[in-house]
Amino acid sequence: MSKLKLIGVSKAYGATQALRRGDLEIESGEVHVLIGSNGSGKSTLCKIVAGSVRPDGGEVLLDGKPVDVSGPRAARALGIGIFYQELSLAAHRTVAENICLADLPMKAGIFIDREALTERAQHYIALFDGVAGDGFSAATVVEGLRADQRQLVEIMKALASEAPVLIFDEPTSALDRAQVERFFDILRRLKSEGRSIVFISHRMDEIFAIGDRVTVIRDGETVATSAIAATDSASVIRLMVGNEDELAPPTEAPATSSPASRDTLLSVRGFSGKGFANISFDVARGEIVGFGGLHGQGQSSVLRAIFGASPVTSGEIVLDGRTITTGNPRAAIRNGLAYVSGDRGREGIIQGRPILENLMPIHYLRDRLLLASPASLREKAKPAVEALHTKFAGFSHPINSLSGGNQQKIVIARWLIDRPDVLLLDDPTKGIDLSAKADLFTLIRKLAKEGMGIVLYSSEDAELLNNADRILVFNGGSVSRDLTGSERTRYNLYQAAYEAA
Amino acid sequence: MTTAATQQSAGSGLKRLVERYPFLPALAILVVLLALNGIYQPRSVSLVGITGLVKTYLALMLLAVAQTYVVFAGDIDLSAGAIVSLVNVVIIVLMEQWGGGPFMVLAAMGVGILAGFACGIINGFVVAGLRLQAIVATFATSIFFTGLALYVLPVAGMPAPAAFWRTYGGRFFEVPFVFYAVAVLATVLYLLACTRLVTRLLAVGDDAQAAFQSGLPVTAIRIRGYVLCGLFAALAAFCITGDTASGDPLVGGKMTLFSVAAVVLGGTALSGGFGTVVGSLIGALIIGLINSLVYFMGVPSQWQNLVQGVAILLALMAGVMIGRRARR
Repeated sequence: MSKLKLIGVSKAYGATQALRRGDLEIESGEVHVLIGSNGSGKSTLCKIVAGSVRPDGGEVLLDGKPVDVSGPRAARALGIGIFYQELSLAAHRTVAENICLADLPMKAGIFIDREALTERAQHYIALFDGVAGDGFSAATVVEGLRADQRQLVEIMKALASEAPVLIFDEPTSALDRAQVERFFDILRRLKSEGRSIVFISHRMDEIFAIGDRVTVIRDGETVATSAIAATDSASVIRLMVGNEDELAPPTEAPATSSPASRDTLLSVRGFSGKGFANISFDVARGEIVGFGGLHGQGQSSVLRAIFGASPVTSGEIVLDGRTITTGNPRAAIRNGLAYVSGDRGREGIIQGRPILENLMPIHYLRDRLLLASPASLREKAKPAVEALHTKFAGFSHPINSLSGGNQQKIVIARWLIDRPDVLLLDDPTKGIDLSAKADLFTLIRKLAKEGMGIVLYSSEDAELLNNADRILVFNGGSVSRDLTGSERTRYNLYQAAYEAA
Repeated sequence: MTTAATQQSAGSGLKRLVERYPFLPALAILVVLLALNGIYQPRSVSLVGITGLVKTYLALMLLAVAQTYVVFAGDIDLSAGAIVSLVNVVIIVLMEQWGGGPFMVLAAMGVGILAGFACGIINGFVVAGLRLQAIVATFATSIFFTGLALYVLPVAGMPAPAAFWRTYGGRFFEVPFVFYAVAVLATVLYLLACTRLVTRLLAVGDDAQAAFQSGLPVTAIRIRGYVLCGLFAALAAFCITGDTASGDPLVGGKMTLFSVAAVVLGGTALSGGFGTVVGSLIGALIIGLINSLVYFMGVPSQWQNLVQGVAILLALMAGVMIGRRARR
């Protein structure tokens, strides 16, 4: 009988189906690897087991009995511990307090037993003795720790639950070699104690070093489970890719496929900043350059830095032959750059304001408008909005009355009133329905044909493969491969993304 | 990796001190203000002067403490002053009706504590339970509590029994009563700082989602923060009743934002997760000293508000700037 079993678990966030049919079966005393591409539903699956996300359907069986994991507290009580990919640390609390946060040792009913707290935390800190780095102690405040040290604290916190089922959602992404080795030693020991461990990693070498079995998830569905010993990385990648055609569907006109023949519009040289280093690439007129790779490998950071929304330590941008400095978005916009974020709510729309106002901010800025009549603005806005097949009742209606897809169309339309030279798209289709996506990409390809340079980062590989003329695969903050022409296959994309960093 | 490694701080002594004791900048401002008070009115820094200061501002100190526990969890309580008003009129009316005997006074204070507790439960329920915006929800409950206070005592002026305010303003073994109160307060605050609740409040204020995912009962913790706030607001009401010796259904209203200012002056982050109650106590004293300084400097009455406002702004700026410089 398996320790933990998930049958047909599903979860939707609004229109996005994060998990369609998650099945998973874990034995006692095994390290079970979960693998899948960006947004395939791994983290959602883990969060359902850990109780921080309620599933829409499906069953969770623990020791053969159906259980209701109603929340993180219930999960702890059932003996399930988790390492959260995005970490669950309190930045101003000490390492010891964070490790024991869920179950602080008490004395006299209400007071924290500081000695017991330190002692218990010390037990887990000692596991990483020698590899945790300088300035790591029970009394250190988490805020002052490096990224890898914080990740260690989250690992210790998960270990401190002493749960029979432990889930580690990308626990090694910031760790160095020695720390990973130590962590694997600990996992092997836990395994020998009969604990069940779920392990998520994007590094193939790690998966084969520590895993007993591997389950592949693709597009929210469990595809296959096999023993690690009976498989190899090529077949795992093939499972992740699926039976979809190896070659990307032909883009409209790859006729002008030699970028060298086209004139370069945007040229980025030796770009470095927080989260990326030494990025160089060119965008020709009419070219769509895709940024690919796993989530958070620096793609967004580069786009934001080009747009002046986050600082750059070195590097230069040449736009249409002139070197420009983009210290802030205002300057970037005046220079002819446009940026559309996938996080509409926070970085796109102006909440609660009419659609017309949401269409105009860029026009105001570029034309230095002081006074304008709504009627003339409407005239200017109309063609931009119509180009996108945006459905809405009237310009005076609040932006929030629109669906997510139509909101994003409005955000993009605001850039089209005064055409920019380069359009930077930062995962623009996040949480948008399929038909709106199709409209968006039709428009993007049309804009490219008309001579705009487009940089597209998408967390959905299909979007890149179908639309980009060239795909730069990001890995660990730098470009690991440049896929052009017939190289643009799902297989190559995954292989470049999952290479050991 | 490399950027993360270079980020690690060298860590000067001052930086570590300010991180450990975030109220140090406020303490420096307090010392400066005390000195200024001493220059303009030497008697203000005598025992009598300090006693008077504490007697007048103990209520604000307690209310600042009350506010701090809510702010720890990233919430805010704009009804704290209204709770003070409500408890003030409740105990005044009860003491009047039950006669001014010592037991009756204590019984009335017990009811006052219960009233503060109930107000805290209501606030916690609407903010954490119903998930309403803390600012708006507690603004609404503040009107509600003020309305209750006006129902209990429609006009200001009902006197407190002599036993009550004589005790508050009196001395025992040559030591003013308020100093005993401060000593007890210090002990209680120290003990509270050792409780699991305060650590959990701070963890929730740090990142509520992370706290939830760690398995903390976030809603219950936030409600307890509001309950602590209600209880300390009731204590603040006792002090203000002892100081003014009368009932006034609107007495606490203007104290609310002063309590928030005191919390911020004390180095506590309004976003939650970081701060100390000691800082809030110092913050309340800073506000008190600014008020008395304006008086001692002989500022004409029509200019007093303006000067007070500017002085509080300056104190805030100084505190923030010292803190930033030290953390760098």
